[in-house]
Amino acid sequence: MLLSDTISAAMEGLKRSRMRSLLTTLGIVIGVGSVVLMVSIGASFERYILSQVESFSGDTFEIHAKGIQDVGKDVLSITFGDLEAISNLTTVKNIAPAIFLTDRVKYGREEIAPFVFGTTKEIFINWSMKPEYGRLLNDEDDRGAKAVVVLGSQAAEDLFTNTNPIGKRLTIGSRKFTVVGVMEAMGSPLAAQMDSMVYVPFSVAKAIQGRTTYIDYIALQSMGGDNELTRRDIVSLLRQRHNIDNPEDDQDKDDFYARSFEQAMDIIGTVTMSITLFLGLIAGISLLVGGVGIMNIMLVSVTERTKEIGLRKAVGARRQDILLQFLLEAIVLTLIGGVVGVIGALGLGYLLTMIANKLLGGITYAISLQAILLPLATAIIVGLVFGIYPARKAAGLRPIEAMGYE
Amino acid sequence: MSSQNNPTNGFNGEDSPLIQTKNLYKSYFNEGLETKVLFDINLTINKGEFVAIMGPSGSGKSTLMHILGFLDNHTEGEYEFHGKAARTMDEDMLAKVRATRVSFVFQAFNLLPRASIYQNVMLPLIYHPIIPAEERDSRVNKAIESVDLTDRTNFLSNQLSGGQKQRVAIARALVTEPELIFADEPTGNLDSASGIQVMKVLQDLHDSGHTIILVTHEQSTAEHADRIIELFDGRITRDTEEFKTRWAVDEDKLMK
Repeated sequence: MLLSDTISAAMEGLKRSRMRSLLTTLGIVIGVGSVVLMVSIGASFERYILSQVESFSGDTFEIHAKGIQDVGKDVLSITFGDLEAISNLTTVKNIAPAIFLTDRVKYGREEIAPFVFGTTKEIFINWSMKPEYGRLLNDEDDRGAKAVVVLGSQAAEDLFTNTNPIGKRLTIGSRKFTVVGVMEAMGSPLAAQMDSMVYVPFSVAKAIQGRTTYIDYIALQSMGGDNELTRRDIVSLLRQRHNIDNPEDDQDKDDFYARSFEQAMDIIGTVTMSITLFLGLIAGISLLVGGVGIMNIMLVSVTERTKEIGLRKAVGARRQDILLQFLLEAIVLTLIGGVVGVIGALGLGYLLTMIANKLLGGITYAISLQAILLPLATAIIVGLVFGIYPARKAAGLRPIEAMGYE
Repeated sequence: MSSQNNPTNGFNGEDSPLIQTKNLYKSYFNEGLETKVLFDINLTINKGEFVAIMGPSGSGKSTLMHILGFLDNHTEGEYEFHGKAARTMDEDMLAKVRATRVSFVFQAFNLLPRASIYQNVMLPLIYHPIIPAEERDSRVNKAIESVDLTDRTNFLSNQLSGGQKQRVAIARALVTEPELIFADEPTGNLDSASGIQVMKVLQDLHDSGHTIILVTHEQSTAEHADRIIELFDGRITRDTEEFKTRWAVDEDKLMK
């Protein structure tokens, strides 16, 4: 028997019970479709998250005390001495220390409570931020402890609405500051916090807070691009200075964090990939259910078509001819279901991404070829696995009992 | 015309009788219970014969036909086809014999539902190991023409009358040009006019050299055959061939 004969016999078989084939296929459509959809949603989400942070240089490190989340509480651990020592490392550059102010910011009747960063000009390099209007902080501001302020785009909008803030004087706590610049918007929800920040010279914040020992935060970049080397340099220096015995490099033992953006991105990547995998797995269950549906229907089909099988055997069909015909029927069902499912999921995924993009912005549709081919291959395997039992049952029928003589 | 496409592998060819059974028994086993259906069947059928197997329902005639047609196996004794024991044939060999050497016309027609006459007659050809694909179309058309249904080639099987269905079944049986055609109560589900038509087709097939084994419980149908074998309760109770042979012997004696 030619393969084309088997294929056409399988197609005829499916055509003769069109409605049932359609419904069976639906199970696979949903199964494959949900796998592709979930994986593509996961991938789009991952790409979105990563696009949010990709503007940051992966070489940028952040160093701060553990417990920075609880600003105001006395959990400080990084000292001016630490800053000095870190500055002397050969693997770092662009060191930007910071001291935070919690004072409210007022202009006229507008009042906001932003994160006020007392820092140096290097912070803008490390965070890849650019001015939209005016200028950034410079060395002179710091040396002269000038009462100048640079506003994040959101902070500027909140305080000044539509008027140009450059040159205007606003109040931080009880002190007057002159606005010298407004930052470009980061343009993404994840970095929105940065748009609300307000930046003043480091020396000014130091004086306001009366700090002589501790600083809140250091941003810097690794020199030469070897982030792991830089990290080890910083960590061993700080452990030595803080008298922490930690040869096993257990970060739980430290009283500080020293982390590169690259590490942070890796963590984000791992998290989003786990989410994608999890979603895919959940969807995979529906594919399995679809497969059981295929087996069920193929079994019904074999029972219903025993006479046909008997007849085929009576006119000379071999065991393997029948086996192949029924296997092909199952595979054709799953393959059609798979293709329809993939197309449907791509369409639906694209639509959902568009809607999410409208709501959040910055989301583009992402799907990998593997995310399409894998569920398709799985569908065919499902057809094979769940089709083999009914097909074997059909092939094993004796012609005479199949024709209903016994 | 019948054997030009038939493989001879393992068969002793023309020397041995087409069909020979020796002390053949058949039992069915159901939940350990044995039901004997055929007892001590000894039978020789030669090429070109037109044999009717007769008997009341339950006499075992259909079972005998299924065994002779390789649709079922026997329990004891020997069945040789062209001198080759059916017992020695594996499943693939049996399928090949069914595809190339024998064919069936069933009482219930057994056509593929919702398939055209053309597709139904084509069916045995797709399982035929020798007939090339290019020959199929002409063979199908020729077979349909021989049962006078050319104008209905593309009709679906469920659009046909009983007589037409049985003629499609006959066309399907002869499309591979097998040497042996089995017909199981071919007129059983037909009105008398259609029945006569169907028997005429079988008669023509016999005249053109086919061996035909007909199973029936009707005397009038059986009379189309040259030889009648009667079964009762699983035993052969009469075989006109034996009478003929004996008669011939007696005649010889008388002549002397």
